[in-house]
Amino acid sequence: MKKLGSESLADLSIGAVFLATGGGGDPYVAELITKAALDKFGPVDLIDPDDLADDAFIVALGGVGAPTVSLELLPSINDAVDTLRAFEDRFGKKIDAVVSFEVGGANSLIPIIAAAGMSIPVVDGDGMGRALPEAQMMTYPIYGVLPTPAVTTDYRGGITEFHTKNILEFEPEIRQCALSSGGMITSAEHPMTGKQLKASIVPRTITFSVELGRILREGRGNAHKIFEPLQKLFANSIYGGIHHLYTGKVVDSSTKIIGGYDIGEATIASFDGARPPLKISIKNEYLLAKINGKTVTSVPDLITVLDYETSTPINAERLRFGQRVTVYGIGCPAFYRTEKALNFVAPRCFGFDFDYQPIESLISSASPT
Amino acid sequence: MRIGIDVGGTHTDAVLVDGDNVISSTKALTSADVTSGILEALESILSDSGVQEDSIEAVMLGTTQFTNAVIERKKLSEVAAIRIGLPSGAGLPPKIGWPEDISHSLGDHGYMVHGGTLYDGRPLAELDWSEINKVIADIKSKNLNTVAISAAFSPMTPQPELDVAAQLRREIPGVNITCSHSLGRLGLLERENAALLNASLLKLADSVVSAFADALRQRGLKCRFFVSQNDGTLMDAEFVRQFPALTFASGPTNSLRGACKLTGLNDAIVVDLGGTTADIGILQGGFPRESNIVIDVGGVRTNFRMPDILSLGLGGGSLVTDEGRSIGPKSVGHNLVTQGLAFGGSVLTATDLLVAAGRATVGPNQCPVTLPPQTIENGLNTIASMLNNGIEKMMPSSDPMPVILVGGGAILVADKLEVASKMYCPEHSGVANAIGAAIAQIGGEVESLVCYQDMPREQAIKKMSDEAISTAINAGANPKTIRIADIEETTISYMAEGTTRLRIKAVGDIPSQGKGAAV
Repeated sequence: MKKLGSESLADLSIGAVFLATGGGGDPYVAELITKAALDKFGPVDLIDPDDLADDAFIVALGGVGAPTVSLELLPSINDAVDTLRAFEDRFGKKIDAVVSFEVGGANSLIPIIAAAGMSIPVVDGDGMGRALPEAQMMTYPIYGVLPTPAVTTDYRGGITEFHTKNILEFEPEIRQCALSSGGMITSAEHPMTGKQLKASIVPRTITFSVELGRILREGRGNAHKIFEPLQKLFANSIYGGIHHLYTGKVVDSSTKIIGGYDIGEATIASFDGARPPLKISIKNEYLLAKINGKTVTSVPDLITVLDYETSTPINAERLRFGQRVTVYGIGCPAFYRTEKALNFVAPRCFGFDFDYQPIESLISSASPT
Repeated sequence: MRIGIDVGGTHTDAVLVDGDNVISSTKALTSADVTSGILEALESILSDSGVQEDSIEAVMLGTTQFTNAVIERKKLSEVAAIRIGLPSGAGLPPKIGWPEDISHSLGDHGYMVHGGTLYDGRPLAELDWSEINKVIADIKSKNLNTVAISAAFSPMTPQPELDVAAQLRREIPGVNITCSHSLGRLGLLERENAALLNASLLKLADSVVSAFADALRQRGLKCRFFVSQNDGTLMDAEFVRQFPALTFASGPTNSLRGACKLTGLNDAIVVDLGGTTADIGILQGGFPRESNIVIDVGGVRTNFRMPDILSLGLGGGSLVTDEGRSIGPKSVGHNLVTQGLAFGGSVLTATDLLVAAGRATVGPNQCPVTLPPQTIENGLNTIASMLNNGIEKMMPSSDPMPVILVGGGAILVADKLEVASKMYCPEHSGVANAIGAAIAQIGGEVESLVCYQDMPREQAIKKMSDEAISTAINAGANPKTIRIADIEETTISYMAEGTTRLRIKAVGDIPSQGKGAAV
């Protein structure tokens, strides 16, 4: 079994920001607390999904709430472990391994803290392969894993149980719980067997994120030079290919809070003005990219924006006029392209009037880059 | 009349201004002890102008001494850190993530206790006095007399920090305390770091203020003096003794404010070209636009209120390579005057490109510089594109804005920059920083997380504007001259709709003492 120690955290973090496609917040505090946990308990076992027994019992773990709140209401090293313990106590089940909601952003790190404190393995993979804003968009419920029984703990160890079987009722219930418990809670949910997990997980995304972060760190510099190593990495992964969508400068970027989400649009114009600008629609994440009114990439495929000079991924809230950026589009894991999954993650689920088409077909019909 | 002094890493600049007029100015090298350099600069402008000491109304000092103390890890005091936030944050003790050397300079004295509040103002936990008294006893037993206090959501609810501070003062008479809420900004770890750095400078602040007061007295100046903060406003001696860290980055701020004064423009891009860097900032309503991101000071993450400055490795002394296609970031710095080709030296610098192009003359000997025409053309293009790209990154929108050039390296810009609606290079721009110090006003700033659904926007802005105004008056501003200088709103995601971080700043003039011209 692979080990994951604190020396890999910086790479995992930066890889997670890349895969967060503009969302996920700043993982700095999560990185600090994870490092503290790994320093205290030692490296964790990172188990490949295929190595899990079919009857193993696994729970998904992560934070739910407003990332801004955890800038003040800091996480504790015990939050993650206490949540898993509460789950075991309440439901009389021994947890064999823990798995992440989403690899994008801080939620890639929270299961690692729990695994370290409980001396159980963390599963190499997650329920999104990227970042998405709502629970029903995870691969686990889409496959058919029930969200409950679930428990959450808040900052003072207060435990709440959830028993609704309907994911669309679970999502607002848990979000409301977060708001009334200080703004941020830790949730252990979507209990599943090894067999269910193998069928629903986006596999090996933790290892992938560490490798992605390593390439971004070692190849720090012009975004064009990093394209080839990235191409190789994505070619041998559960993702589709990576495509260069656009390079230019941000000429407009504005987001507004609507219904608790950061909604907006960014416009990027080519340096020489020769190409029509690229427009990216944002709802916490970068969801849709258009050139000349024609969609070139849409959710659930990934859109990521890198600083042109340093290849550092840029979050949507940090996107600013005048930044020189390179935009890449990446085919999503095959799971999200099934009809069943698209019911929950297609562009229409985010209010866009567009039927999902894979990036490969959109790119080949668009003007050459 | 007022005197403005700006102590930078290399130069100490001073000006004497009367209303809008610069009477006298000087540029001297910064001395190792700082004070003798200041005295020299004072001597130069006073004797040069023949102005009587008693007609000086006030002296304003901008200084980089506190920044340097942090960067060089020198003259810092040991500090006890008390964070009020348990049960949250266990495992993330104060000073987590700090470089080892500076963490060591402040000593190993971190404490965490229960308390603080939540985003909606409810208590996170009640204060536990037996826990707090144990911490205080331990601090006492270590003979520490400097403490930084932080608490969750203290910018919105400062009471827990104030309660612990009061208890400390009862138990340890004469203790020096920095409360994190007084340095503002959400982001507990970064605000706590800011409080710790500030606390570690309190002793140094005391000696800097005393030395400066002595220097003025020695030169026969009995007027009041102020120190400039990094938001372009002033603090009096007592305030500097409490908040020395608010001087961080006051140099670039003073340049921006000076540029505003020299051109009369309130909204513009300012490029301060020195020997090694070009510092680009934005004037918004006459004040520097502030940065919203985490700022690294000497390797420590802080969220100090700081001007939003983009530093490019381009200055008068920057090395030119690859036939002019590459300039900087390496520079000969202030050795330009001995090493540059135009000064008879042997190093090809950015300044030499302009001299070779016949666009500038420099130095006492005006050495001719001959370069291949292609190198000159490439070089001038490189300078222009570096500045154009840098300025674009800072511009709030694609609308062209006026660009003001200040600093000794301003000669590098030969032609109008593409991104500028108009270019300005005003007289006295070489000492814009000292002018910025001389004209500074007194300010007050408040920040809070508000929900416009609970309190309508106009009402929230009115309430916080009143708070900002009274903060400014308490800091010594003349109530008659106070105005709201800036209102900044940032919306917060994943929270109730309408949740906004609101920041309001008020400014006013220093009260006139009844003689001399008010600026």
